[in-house]
Amino acid sequence: MAAADQKTPATPGNADEQVEKSLYAKAEKIYPREVHGLFARLRVLGVFSLLGIYYITPWLRWDGHQALLLDLPARKFHIFFITLWPQDFIYLAALLIIAGLTLFFVTAIAGRIWCGYACPQTVWTEAFLWIERKVEGDRSRQRKLDAQPMNARKFRIKATKHVLWLAFAGWTGFTFVGYFTPIIELGQRLVMFELGPWETFWVIFYGFATYGNAGFMREQVCKYMCPYARFQSAMFDKDTLIVSYIPERGEPRGSRRRSDDPALLGLGDCIDCTLCVQVCPTGIDIRNGLQYECIACSACIDACDDVMEKMGYEKGLIKYTTENAMHGSTSHIIRPRVVIYALILLGIMSLFAWTFSQRLPLGLDVIRDRNQLYRETNEGLIENVYILKILNMDDVAHRYTLDVRGVTGMKLNMDVPEIRVASGDVLELPVRLQVDEGELEVRSTEIQFTLVADDNATLTATETARFLGPR
Amino acid sequence: MTQPQIPNTQKCIAVLWPSFLVAIVATGLFFSAFDPADLYPFGDDTEVSRLGVYSIGFLFFWLVSTISGIGTLYFAITNCMRQDPEHREH
Repeated sequence: MAAADQKTPATPGNADEQVEKSLYAKAEKIYPREVHGLFARLRVLGVFSLLGIYYITPWLRWDGHQALLLDLPARKFHIFFITLWPQDFIYLAALLIIAGLTLFFVTAIAGRIWCGYACPQTVWTEAFLWIERKVEGDRSRQRKLDAQPMNARKFRIKATKHVLWLAFAGWTGFTFVGYFTPIIELGQRLVMFELGPWETFWVIFYGFATYGNAGFMREQVCKYMCPYARFQSAMFDKDTLIVSYIPERGEPRGSRRRSDDPALLGLGDCIDCTLCVQVCPTGIDIRNGLQYECIACSACIDACDDVMEKMGYEKGLIKYTTENAMHGSTSHIIRPRVVIYALILLGIMSLFAWTFSQRLPLGLDVIRDRNQLYRETNEGLIENVYILKILNMDDVAHRYTLDVRGVTGMKLNMDVPEIRVASGDVLELPVRLQVDEGELEVRSTEIQFTLVADDNATLTATETARFLGPR
Repeated sequence: MTQPQIPNTQKCIAVLWPSFLVAIVATGLFFSAFDPADLYPFGDDTEVSRLGVYSIGFLFFWLVSTISGIGTLYFAITNCMRQDPEHREH
């Protein structure tokens, strides 16, 4: 996917080797320069809305409980008006598949906009960079400070930064745990210093991960740890939106005065100010062509547009474009790849919606008593014993009626007068079935248990079992 | 082509990170099928909460997949060295 370098047209092998070398090189700290412009504003908007959603959501209430609570201790997930139980794990898996396919679909059309605007790694790094700039100053001040030997001023500045980072990361960790255990009680326990050992562990763990990833690892997470960054190019084609420098317009690059006529100097529009390199959070030179490190954050577009405006040149020397558009052909949004991704996505989404709408908040399991196959009662009837496991996944309690069929004249005996199961409870109900031996034609007869909620006939669960006799 | 030297930090990431992801999936699958309250070692005599059992389970899965990752890394590296004549020892 790497396009050829303008100065040294690289052979594919050469480019691969360079990528390999860079993958194994010791990382050097990158000081991205602050950038202003349309895309920077879009990213700030993304950062604010996404961080806002993350920090506020666990505090929302719905119908007397936390609106979004993946309550691990209680083994149920509240997602607004839906309550999911461990049995519903499949829906969660399906949601993840849908999210993954959506990412494929978006990537095919718009490239790595996920990376540039919405990925948590980008969002938190952006927030941490903002804190760093507020404390240490701009790029050149940060560099100067890092070059200095340790002194009182440097220590004070560095300490302030890390305290702020740690506080922010700690709050992030606390919020994270608040998705899995009721956050209001968690907050109360936090201020009383009564957090449980595992709650403390996970707050620190997640906080530390945030601190490390957003404060130190930054672009290295994208380069070394992100699976998406490695395979996203598989979704790319010549119509995918990419951030690209237009070499035909920019080259040959060279510095000049604003008043100079580039045509007379034999220069292209690139003034070689290297601002596009300085603003890049992954430290690449976009003028070398599309590179796998590029997270399509378009900071270079903002920086270059600004320069072009100051020089009085047309904007868009670096811009969002497609490979086809760069080579003068037309770009197509609708193409086989996009259509196929869309069809698969739509198919899975409708399947999910349909199965979810058919989801029955009632579970019935029939387990045969393993101690004896059958026994004969005093009255001379053949008796089988079963344990019924009834799981009420509904939000309210229900009373159920049990019916069994399969053998004529079968008698159903329970030890309880009625079957009542509270919301979220599992009832283990021993059941004895008795039949006259004459009704059994074979040794093993198939029977059917049917459980119906008294107040709602759609809540019906049927389960088959076997009735064993002497014959 | 000589084999590039992989820095130790990256070796750690290459082992710990994928095993972390695998551990999340394994923990999710395992505990959606088994309720910690039903599991024998933590049945009724110990004071470990469900969150504690999940955490121990997760750390255990992470440990197991880390061991597997270390194995993969070890065999991959020794294999590369064997194929590379510069590293061949006589």
